[in-house]
Amino acid sequence: MLQFILRRLLHAVPLLLAVVVLNFLLIALTPGDPITLLVGDFPAPPEYLEKMRSEYGLDQPIWVQLGHYLAKIAQGDFGYSFNAQQPVAPLILNRVGATLTLTVTALVMASLGGIVFGVLAARWRGGAVDSTIQTVASAGYSIPDFWLGQLLILVFAIGLGWLPSQGNQPIRGLPDGFWASTLEQLRYLILPAFALSLRYLTLITRITRAAMLEVMHADFILASRARGASEWTVVMVHALRNAAAPVITVIGYNVGFILAGSALIEAVFAWPGIGRLLFESISKRDYPVMLAILLMVSATVVVANLVTDIVHRLIDPRIERQ
Amino acid sequence: MNTHPPRSPSLDTLTLSRRRLGQWGLGSLAIAGLLPGMVRAAGKGVAVLGIDNDPPTLNLGTSTDFTAGDVSAKILEGLIWLDPEYNPRPSLATAWRISPDGKTYTFTLRKGVKWHDGKDFTSADVKFTLLEVLAKLHPRAAPVFKNLGVEVDTPDAGTVVVRLQKPYAPFLSQMTVFDAPMLPRHVYEGSNVGTNPANQKPIGTGPFKFAEWKRGASIRLVRNDSYWDAEKPYLQELIFQIIPQATNRVPALQTGEIDELLDFYTPKPEIPRLLADKSLAPRRGVNIPALWFLMFNINSPVFSKKEARHALAFAIDRERIVKQVMQGIARPGAGAFGDGFKWLLNQEVGYATKYPFDPARAKALLAKAGIKSNTVTLRMPFDLNRPQMRAQSQIIQENLRNVGLEVKLEPLERSVLIDRVAVKREFDMTLASFYSAGDPAIGYTRLYATNTGTAANTNSSGYSNPKVDELLASAATAADRNARAKSYKELQVILNEDLPSLILFDEETVDTASKKLSGVFPGLDARDQWAGVRRAN
Repeated sequence: MLQFILRRLLHAVPLLLAVVVLNFLLIALTPGDPITLLVGDFPAPPEYLEKMRSEYGLDQPIWVQLGHYLAKIAQGDFGYSFNAQQPVAPLILNRVGATLTLTVTALVMASLGGIVFGVLAARWRGGAVDSTIQTVASAGYSIPDFWLGQLLILVFAIGLGWLPSQGNQPIRGLPDGFWASTLEQLRYLILPAFALSLRYLTLITRITRAAMLEVMHADFILASRARGASEWTVVMVHALRNAAAPVITVIGYNVGFILAGSALIEAVFAWPGIGRLLFESISKRDYPVMLAILLMVSATVVVANLVTDIVHRLIDPRIERQ
Repeated sequence: MNTHPPRSPSLDTLTLSRRRLGQWGLGSLAIAGLLPGMVRAAGKGVAVLGIDNDPPTLNLGTSTDFTAGDVSAKILEGLIWLDPEYNPRPSLATAWRISPDGKTYTFTLRKGVKWHDGKDFTSADVKFTLLEVLAKLHPRAAPVFKNLGVEVDTPDAGTVVVRLQKPYAPFLSQMTVFDAPMLPRHVYEGSNVGTNPANQKPIGTGPFKFAEWKRGASIRLVRNDSYWDAEKPYLQELIFQIIPQATNRVPALQTGEIDELLDFYTPKPEIPRLLADKSLAPRRGVNIPALWFLMFNINSPVFSKKEARHALAFAIDRERIVKQVMQGIARPGAGAFGDGFKWLLNQEVGYATKYPFDPARAKALLAKAGIKSNTVTLRMPFDLNRPQMRAQSQIIQENLRNVGLEVKLEPLERSVLIDRVAVKREFDMTLASFYSAGDPAIGYTRLYATNTGTAANTNSSGYSNPKVDELLASAATAADRNARAKSYKELQVILNEDLPSLILFDEETVDTASKKLSGVFPGLDARDQWAGVRRAN
């Protein structure tokens, strides 16, 4: 197992290097000058433009810039944001918490909800419950999440006024007391987490249902039924455990998508996380921030895939033997 | 010409009454016997102001970014501020004198002003700001200062003498926080002003002190308890809430999440809703003029012909643009400088008489210029992040199709747009808007003055007319407003005929505050003068 992990980590190094180099070149070859966006709506003095350009190394040839960048990354320095005028690392670290709160909540909602609905649909295959879940799942999978977000704001924030429309906490401050303040923060979390999770929830529902149905025909299910186990024991203990492998694979492989997908949701709900930072850094041409976030997302995908494979091996020893 | 600052309104209204005498008595008791801190009134309440994004910097000495100005104008101060009638009012300068030749400005600085870090504000700070920051790095001030050859003397800690090589009419009105924010020398001297960490946590002399910046969420300012205007500010805190989605901003104002939203951040289609909302107090009709226009590339095959430019002036329905795109909250283009500055308007050569909406005449002019119907496609790049421009471009496209011209709309990301228009000049016509910053010489000269460089937000049309350059210079330097008006009127005769840019409309703004706030928007610029704002619970 250890050898497997080391091998996989070693494979990740050239992959991440390729991500950095490709992203760097793509961004550098796009037309447009980030410095012109810094100064506002009046023609900036050439001295200022030159000063800023040399300050950020943008006057160097692109290969030199790339070399500097790689050398700096190797030392853990992600550069200096020219839009925020501060180092990139703290800029991202300050916003990691908000993004983790949103993405982990969405992932948990999608996983738990998806497994529950998938099991229910499989349990009553062909019945009303199954067809309802299937229909909703198809619809949910095809709704773009940013559009759903706008719709949720219109209905629950503006129309009904039940939940806040933006941000991750009240601007005039949280209420006193642990429970009151946690509850208030939850109110801010519900809409964006739901909007972000729906697509994955429906995906996991469908995968769970399919995997469960496949397992339900296996001999050991017949055997446990023959032993007189209750239907719920059969479904939850014998079938679900054996159907878990593809479900976990789907959950693990979607971690990266959820993280990347949070960019749009964070923009819609003014959620102050990394996704929105990425969104803004693209519109402001803030290369160092863009590169660092893309690298971070890529690294997360690599790690999530690795963890998924490890879990896979743990719950299904047959893979190791192959 | 001598200009005296208007007397402070509190002095004008100061009459002795028993009540006031009583207050004075209490005041002197407090000074005599109690802790000094207790004499000062404390601020009350928190006002939340909506903004669009994190500003790129809070050092207004290096940027004209609107949001940066919104936040920084509460922390930093200029020597003066402008009231809605463009009168200069004392801020960090209490008095000023202009020499008869218009070349020497003597400012008397306010006594007892302290920076937020406790150091004294002196004339050395003013000199440093003017010469080391503004003259080198400020997008509006730097070219002007260079052209004027600004020199600064500081005969004592409370006096600043500014000498110009030639007179410049809008110099005094450029001494506001937006064009000349005073910065602390002790913080910036010897550092790279563009990247000094203080740009992110500014130290000023203003009514509010910087407290906290949660990137992507909010910027919090707290009351400056040592503010020079002892009773002010009335508010304890100001919070700027970042609302990146334009469509979410008006609902936030209507539901009371925020207390104020400026026109700049307000989507135009939402304005009728704001005007109808009884809980809100919009300010309409007071704003610093700004022009929206169509700039022609006069080196392009079609627009090198003056008839073609004239044809577009007849073909484009400016009334309809105002009505449909701006919800009627704008005024159709009146001429080369719009009609925001009434004193310079030349009605005789105005667009209303010269270019009424008349597609038939447009067709005739195009035929005269040898442009056959449906044979050319005009490239029109514009900023894709400005929804009003997209809407305008569609009306223009339709108008021009009616006279036999195809238009290719090219919505571009801003930095790409700058590259295409200002650097490479690969366009036939483009949409843009220029902000006057309070005087045509500050904001509109760049629209017509010869420009061979690649800077953005300036004249990229390729139009160059020595007579125009000369008149623009004399309009900027004449000390007397009548003499300036004469130059501007003559300029309109030339520019309305040559038409390097077609003015589509003059902007009108609607800045909105919740009725819970009182004392808002006393200045010409709605971002200015927040010390006197109160908030009811």
